[in-house]
Amino acid sequence: MRFRAKIVDLACLNHFSRVVNTVARLAKTCTLRLTADKLYFILSDKVANGGVSVWCELCQGNFFDEFQMEGVAAEHNEIYLELVPENLSRALKTAQNAKTVKIKLTNKHCPCLTVAVELPSLSSSSRIVTHDIPVGVIPRRLWNDFREPGVPDFDVSIYLPVLKTMKSVVERMKNLSNCIVIEANLSGEMNLKIETDLVSVTTHFKDLGNPPWASDDECQSSAQGRDLESMAEARIDIKKLLQLLAGQQVNPTKALCNSWTAQLCCMNVKCFAVQIIYRTCLEPLSRMKGASQVVVYVTIRTGV
Amino acid sequence: MRCVITGGNVKVLGKAVHSLSRIGDELYLEPTENGLSLRAVNSSRSAFASFLFVPLFFQLYERGSPPRAGQHFRCKVLMKSFLSIFRSLPSLEKTVGKCLILLKPQASRLVVQLHCKYGVTKTHNLAFQECERLQAVFSTRQCANSLCAPARVLAEAVVHFPATLSEVTLSAGPGGKISLRNYVEDEKEPGRTMVTELWLAEDEFQEVAVAPGTCITFCLKEFRGLLTFAEASNLPLTIHYDAPGRPAVFTLDDPLLEVHLVLATLSDPESISQSPTANGASELPTPADDFADDLESYMIAMETSAYEGGSGAPPSPTFPLRTPGPAHSEPEEEEEEEAVPGTPPHKKFRSLFFGSVLTPGGPCLAPTQEVLAEDSDGEY
Amino acid sequence: MPLSTQPPASGERYVLTASLDNARHLSSLLRAVHFQDHATCFATANGIKVTVEDAKCLQANAFIQAEIFQEFAVQEESVMFRINLAVLLDCLTIFGSSSLPGTSTALRMCYRGYGYPLMLFLEEGGVVTVCKINTQEPEELLDFDFCSTNVVNKIILQSEGLREAFAELDMTSEVLQITMSPNKPYFRLSTFGNAGSAHLDYPRDSDLMEAFHCNQTQTNRYKISLLKPSTKALALSCKVSIRTDTRGFLSLQYMIRNEDGQICFVEYYCCPDEDVTEADL
Repeated sequence: MRFRAKIVDLACLNHFSRVVNTVARLAKTCTLRLTADKLYFILSDKVANGGVSVWCELCQGNFFDEFQMEGVAAEHNEIYLELVPENLSRALKTAQNAKTVKIKLTNKHCPCLTVAVELPSLSSSSRIVTHDIPVGVIPRRLWNDFREPGVPDFDVSIYLPVLKTMKSVVERMKNLSNCIVIEANLSGEMNLKIETDLVSVTTHFKDLGNPPWASDDECQSSAQGRDLESMAEARIDIKKLLQLLAGQQVNPTKALCNSWTAQLCCMNVKCFAVQIIYRTCLEPLSRMKGASQVVVYVTIRTGV
Repeated sequence: MRCVITGGNVKVLGKAVHSLSRIGDELYLEPTENGLSLRAVNSSRSAFASFLFVPLFFQLYERGSPPRAGQHFRCKVLMKSFLSIFRSLPSLEKTVGKCLILLKPQASRLVVQLHCKYGVTKTHNLAFQECERLQAVFSTRQCANSLCAPARVLAEAVVHFPATLSEVTLSAGPGGKISLRNYVEDEKEPGRTMVTELWLAEDEFQEVAVAPGTCITFCLKEFRGLLTFAEASNLPLTIHYDAPGRPAVFTLDDPLLEVHLVLATLSDPESISQSPTANGASELPTPADDFADDLESYMIAMETSAYEGGSGAPPSPTFPLRTPGPAHSEPEEEEEEEAVPGTPPHKKFRSLFFGSVLTPGGPCLAPTQEVLAEDSDGEY
Repeated sequence: MPLSTQPPASGERYVLTASLDNARHLSSLLRAVHFQDHATCFATANGIKVTVEDAKCLQANAFIQAEIFQEFAVQEESVMFRINLAVLLDCLTIFGSSSLPGTSTALRMCYRGYGYPLMLFLEEGGVVTVCKINTQEPEELLDFDFCSTNVVNKIILQSEGLREAFAELDMTSEVLQITMSPNKPYFRLSTFGNAGSAHLDYPRDSDLMEAFHCNQTQTNRYKISLLKPSTKALALSCKVSIRTDTRGFLSLQYMIRNEDGQICFVEYYCCPDEDVTEADL
């Protein structure tokens, strides 16, 4: 098992740390899956009710100048590691003006993901900082626990409003209530609602737009033929939603287009999950082949 | 004692108090003929700091006449109270034009008066306690190793460590390279802590006079406090150290100001060689092996199936517990030492044997007590 | 639609309707008196007074004159209700408390009368929030009977000069002692804490002093915990008037200028803590 990667480009480094920060805010520990082309940060919260799961997929070619990996065996050319994303986030935090960042798998006192940072200094030679992040190597028999989530059967899929506004609304609502109701329809309307003995508050967003999904996809069946006006609703833990919104570093300077989509998944009228999909595209950098897209799927299941 | 501080020096004094407040809960004030000395020691007596402001620092400095039998007056005040006067450094700079400190033992008065913008005066009458001299016994001359660097270089080095980190290990590698590494305490769960190590090249320092292979482990919090002061004052910082277990002395030199920070160091060299990143064959820590580009360096053999039990925990390093009694059976000191609630994990550090030094040159240290470093300054 | 997002037309039967193109003008004043969650609102044709009290010793009033609102109508001689101030503030700032230049939250507020909730309609950038806040039975308010004919000493200061002093008050002191005198020390704030005592002296000829009318030397003590909340009003204000009457009652009036240059007032009344004998001084 071998892994070694290198980032030179500062924009790529910055973007990569933002993704890692996002993951770190959502999960205490997560799984890092490495394949020849991609990196994945995966969190599958096994809590039955109200759990959060994260699936974050990155194309290595969009971030790394070098990327070499060798999995357990030729036919299973993958590596699964368990790590504390906060450690990786911390290591990258002080690397923002680095000349080079190298990330590799090492075996020190324990298996480690070693982040070696070359920093500019006032003298002729660079400063070198290394961070040995302990990792757990996940045996192959457990790999099945980290399957890619299937595209869920959803009733309504809608683009989310400007994140700053939504975050502010959800923050205030969190002061007033523990759970929030999200309602959305196929006419681009979404409502956020709370209701307690003291107060009821509803915020109405309109003209948000619904993403055009490929119509031949059979899992879209629930959305097909649905009354455009009728609202699908989900009741979720407001803290979990805020954690997601607050965790995102809303800094659109580098990102050309960010889009957030919420998918309300219902089953027998009753909604069981809200999936929030975050897509971001970096400004195409000269060395990049295409647009660099990062997709983060966050699923918040509703408490029953 | 009566002194007047004006202009930017008020802020310098304020910053010094901020720095001292990282050390201890009490501030010791001592007017001497060489200037006003402010000192602090931490509760486990493993850290001591002193700031001596020379008479030139002041617009006016009157030490006052010795009240009785050549004995000069010294006192201590609650750090919190003194700090609150200088709490906001920006407003100190913006509004305070002049600061007057008045110590009148006969009248039981310690007054700090700030003359501010718009003719406003703030007068603080502080409660104080008369006390013995607070003195750490140390000597920079007995330290075999010394390093000097601009404060900024060291400040930029410590940002890589989390604010919660308690101890850091400084080691001298080959070729004058200096490394800083977070000290990982007797790990209960090996492989849970991230190890961060930073290497600085010799030419980042103004002076490197260290023996390769030497290393010391000391508390980061107090060091950070001094760095903040040194960085703001744009002063180079010198680190003097000897063998592990012997105190390390951090000094700043300025024509108007002498600053000493004395920190106990971990006494067990075993713990250093056991530390995770240095488990290579080499005795000396080798810098930058993680940065080598050769393919071999990243090839490690790890069987996914094999790694489940986890490796056997390394034997926890042990440290000799040394809790020397106070140098004198001076009741007040003793009481105080007992009153200190649960001194944090610094037990493994040797206490810095302060004692209350009553008479200069007198039998100030009990013969049974090990003197780790002699006081070299004639004044003391 | 189950719930109309449109504010009701003026013709409907509301005893109080008000609209404001920048909700922050209201929320910042309310924040200046937010030290207890319950507030009593009292509206007349002149505007709204929001009163908050603590420990029968402290009363704070925020006055929002009718002119501050773009539309303000009270159908009865006076309208009074009690409301949870924390909830009201969260609702008023639903789109964020620090608005960017060029954006502001428009507000329309309606109250149908006793037993009905206070309705808020807020709009920013095309997004609408509707809030229904339940109201409660108003309670009787304290009457401090502070009348200007009984005022002994009065000082008007630029707030800047007091802000730092209040921010740095030694909270280990139980009281804040205020001395006002035609002679030295003119105006003195003192605390007596664990650390010792501290005195802050303002000369009468200081540039901070806008007016100085002291007739006799008066030294009174006030519970520092009661005065601390007034720091919020101080932070917003440009001038503060400090008055004491023959009984030693303290009145602090804060003049607050909003972003549009309109002036509002917040006032705090506080009972003295104890009689100070000459020996204490």
